[in-house]
Amino acid sequence: MAIENAHLTTLQGAYDVELMEVTLRVRRYAGEGSRPETRSYTVEVATTATLLDALDVVKDKLDGTLAYRKSCRMAVCGSCGMRMDGGAVLACKTAMKPFVDAGHVVTVSPMGNLPVIKDLVVDMAPFWQKVHAVKPFLDTGGVDDPETEWRVTPRQSALIAKESLCIMCGCCVSECNSMDSDPDFLGPAALAKAYRFVGDVRDGDARERLKELSGAHGIWDCTRCYFCNQRCPKGVDPRDAIAKLGGEAFREGIARDEGAKHAKVFVQSTYKGGYLRETELVPKTIGPIAAIQQLPFAFQLARAGKVPNPLAPHKAKDNAEVKRLWKLLEAQAPKHRERATRAPEGA
Amino acid sequence: MIRHDVVVVGAGCAGMRAAIEAKRRGVDVAVVSKLHPTRSHSGAAEGGINAALGNATEDSPESHTFDTVKGSDYLGDQDAIEIMCHEAPGDIYELEHMGAIFSRSDDGRLAQRPFGAAGAPRTVYSADITGNVLIHVLFEQLVKHEVKVYEEFHCTQIVVDDGRCAGVLAWDLVRGGIHAIEASQVILATGGVGRMYYGTTNAYACTGDGMSLAWRAGVPLKDMEFMQFHPTTLKSNGVLITEGCRGEGGYLRNSLGERFMAIDAPNAMELASRDVVSRAEWKEIADGRGVDGCVLLDLTHLGPKKIKTRLPGSRELALDYAGVDPIHEPIPVRPGAHYHMGGVDVDIWGETIIPGLWAAGEAACVSVHGANRLGGNSLMETITFGRRAGQAAGDRVRSNGDSGARIEASVVADERRRIAALLGAEGGERPAVLREEMAKTMYDKAGVFRTESALTEARAAVHALRDRARNLQLEDRGSLFNSDLVQALELEAMLECADCLVTGALARQESRGAHSRLDYTERDDDRWMKHTLCWHDGGEVRLDYKPVTVTKYQPLARSY
Ligand SMILES: Cc1cc2nc3c(=O)[nH]c(=O)nc-3n(C[C@H](O)[C@H](O)[C@H](O)COP(=O)(O)OP(=O)(O)OC[C@H]3O[C@@H](n4cnc5c(N)ncnc54)[C@H](O)[C@@H]3O)c2cc1C
Ligand code: SF4
Ligand code: SF4
Ligand code: FES
Repeated sequence: MAIENAHLTTLQGAYDVELMEVTLRVRRYAGEGSRPETRSYTVEVATTATLLDALDVVKDKLDGTLAYRKSCRMAVCGSCGMRMDGGAVLACKTAMKPFVDAGHVVTVSPMGNLPVIKDLVVDMAPFWQKVHAVKPFLDTGGVDDPETEWRVTPRQSALIAKESLCIMCGCCVSECNSMDSDPDFLGPAALAKAYRFVGDVRDGDARERLKELSGAHGIWDCTRCYFCNQRCPKGVDPRDAIAKLGGEAFREGIARDEGAKHAKVFVQSTYKGGYLRETELVPKTIGPIAAIQQLPFAFQLARAGKVPNPLAPHKAKDNAEVKRLWKLLEAQAPKHRERATRAPEGA
Repeated sequence: MIRHDVVVVGAGCAGMRAAIEAKRRGVDVAVVSKLHPTRSHSGAAEGGINAALGNATEDSPESHTFDTVKGSDYLGDQDAIEIMCHEAPGDIYELEHMGAIFSRSDDGRLAQRPFGAAGAPRTVYSADITGNVLIHVLFEQLVKHEVKVYEEFHCTQIVVDDGRCAGVLAWDLVRGGIHAIEASQVILATGGVGRMYYGTTNAYACTGDGMSLAWRAGVPLKDMEFMQFHPTTLKSNGVLITEGCRGEGGYLRNSLGERFMAIDAPNAMELASRDVVSRAEWKEIADGRGVDGCVLLDLTHLGPKKIKTRLPGSRELALDYAGVDPIHEPIPVRPGAHYHMGGVDVDIWGETIIPGLWAAGEAACVSVHGANRLGGNSLMETITFGRRAGQAAGDRVRSNGDSGARIEASVVADERRRIAALLGAEGGERPAVLREEMAKTMYDKAGVFRTESALTEARAAVHALRDRARNLQLEDRGSLFNSDLVQALELEAMLECADCLVTGALARQESRGAHSRLDYTERDDDRWMKHTLCWHDGGEVRLDYKPVTVTKYQPLARSY
């Protein structure tokens, strides 16, 4: 058999790859006390190369001081989040060929909303602090004897299917609008993690969790910019998880936060007339007295043409249609979670 | 000096499970890991984890034991296998209670899928992200139990004081500097060493550090010659394309379009066991019927609907990393190093010959996998034997207290000098150059097939590389996040593991499980039903052997 000799040498074609030339502009930063600068590198990489592969060739061949994180190179470990052309990506999930074909030179920089340690490496400690703050473990309420499994139907389990995909890469946090202005905002990753427990039918602590999450820097501080959904490489859709947390909080009657009240006015106002009455929004959110204090600001806005005429009727033409839409929405809303059952004895 | 009762090195499934169990015993536990725990390679596992729950059809721990013994080609220790298979169901229920999000059957119980060489559907899973689910649930428990984690600390040495384990030295990757971390009990859970091969499914971090650390400390490494190859990995970066593709009806074809599995496995065809398929592929390519060093995994006949609904993950990987849409074109695949059966020699509680030094997970060799691991058994091993090591180490602290072993200041000073010398060295070679030569040598000459002449060449090449590696040149000489330094340390570890692997393989004149010799094609139980031990002897590998533990199952031919 030919194999007997053939295997002693390299298998034909084993190491042949089609190459292309790629140029990267990389934001370099040597640590505290140094000034960030952008450097250009041109390397030959396989046509199948990802951004991570390209960085590896730069590090191996041109500049061993370049720092970035990596491990799995298959988009599961969450190490390699960084910005490409200003938006967060996983380096190992971003193919370079389309950019090379388009003649576009990409710029690579560290993720946003997190302190930079060196080059493309950010300090993830603030990220993890927030994850730790949402009590990130199942609380079964003392039921812990593992004689058998909890009974959880596929439908119940599907409630948190998306959240279970999260790899804690931080791409969402990097682009979060709200975190940009309030660094204490829990943020999309921690909140998606929180919903993973609130939505888990085995968890006995949902109400307490929701109370906590409804406080300052919690679910109601999200600006609904949807950047997190857009940037998440795993389809977790953290903004949707935040919306689900809001819904659960309402159902539990936890709505004292201004953000919650604000959302409530939206709902009531559109339910009544199919339109949002902005003039009701502020007093009902923050209360009449605080609202009066906001009047000068309102007049400023009005002068700038940012406030609709408060006297014009705010009603949709076909209000019955509005009501029908509401019925539809209610019918489609997820049913309230029911706690999972323990298996009957001997089952 | 930092001090804890128990220090766990590594935070994959094995390390975290060990840490949690030790902590439950009320002792002071810390984890040292070169990666943040959730970045560990356990998270990449897709398929599932084996336990005879009997949820899908009738099943029993005995049946699981028999399948595992047979799968191991009778090199697994049967006492260890019995332990794993009997304790697995309890361990799975416990994971589920911790919060693992497993897939369910309609009645709400844990679903179980069939896996290769198993007598019943026994694999508990979570869609195609089982590893991700496990790594996150264990991390949650680590947080819950308030276990201290030294994150991005690269362990560089295990310190032995008067025959007892005294703790570890570790390099702080983020800020730089060597730290001494004392502990009466140290558990190694540093994972596998796939990166010594050019084609591998393993992450960049799988560089065999723990095995090399234990070896240098005087613990033998066991059965290092057994590396399992997975038959369907991508050429570009080694990423694994699941067996599910063949399970759903995918074909393997050569350059002539033939389904070549008809030659070696006319009945099982593409669904024959991993080693059989890997060898058949290698032969096709070597005989000139490959396509650029690969064979073709053809799914096109399955149609877009089936591919999109049943195999979306594989399609995404092929698109991302091979630039191929399997709906229209076959995926080029080849065998890649996947799972290392060998590792640190330990007893059934995970303890090494050095009191206070333990190992678990892929870094260890208990041995439950023998010459060939069954899919789904390695995650189970990380959990069961990780738990057992944590339990035993924690109990040891409770009964014996502080072992009294200490890390001398001079040991720390010597290590600081060693690292400083490496950082300051001039005129040597770049680690990346040596790494590539090593990986190609291993893939070509100590891979799917082996012969005396090829292994002799491989061994000489590895020795030459170990010599050259004494003279490395780093470009990054700083202390801030110096991954150049870490890669140099990892290269040294891989070369030592490679030396053990080729030395053990050269000596083993038989074919068993993943070790396939063209010059000794049969299993030879009279001479070789024994474990290989590699000892550290002045930097060289010295071979020794020890018997396999047999309880009930006498060796039979391994045919499926
Ligand atoms: C793609 C793929 C799919 C797989 N699928 C399955 C499957 O479906 N079922 C199954 O049973 N098995 C599967 N396996 C095998 C299984 O995943 C592994 O064997 C197992 O996860 C290993 O776990 P571990 O805890 O031993 O090591 P790892 O998870 O690799 O963890 C190693 C840890 O050690 C740390 N470490 C390493 N070196 C050092 C050092 N020098 N200092 C400090 N820390 C260090 C790392 O940071 C990491 O935390 C798969 C493997 C691969 C590659
Ligand atoms: S939608 Fe909310 S959580 Fe998501 S990025 Fe925007 S502000 Fe942040
Ligand atoms: S939600 Fe998505 S982007 Fe955010 S951490 Fe998780 S996986 Fe990453
Ligand atoms: S390297 Fe793991 S996600 Fe990119």
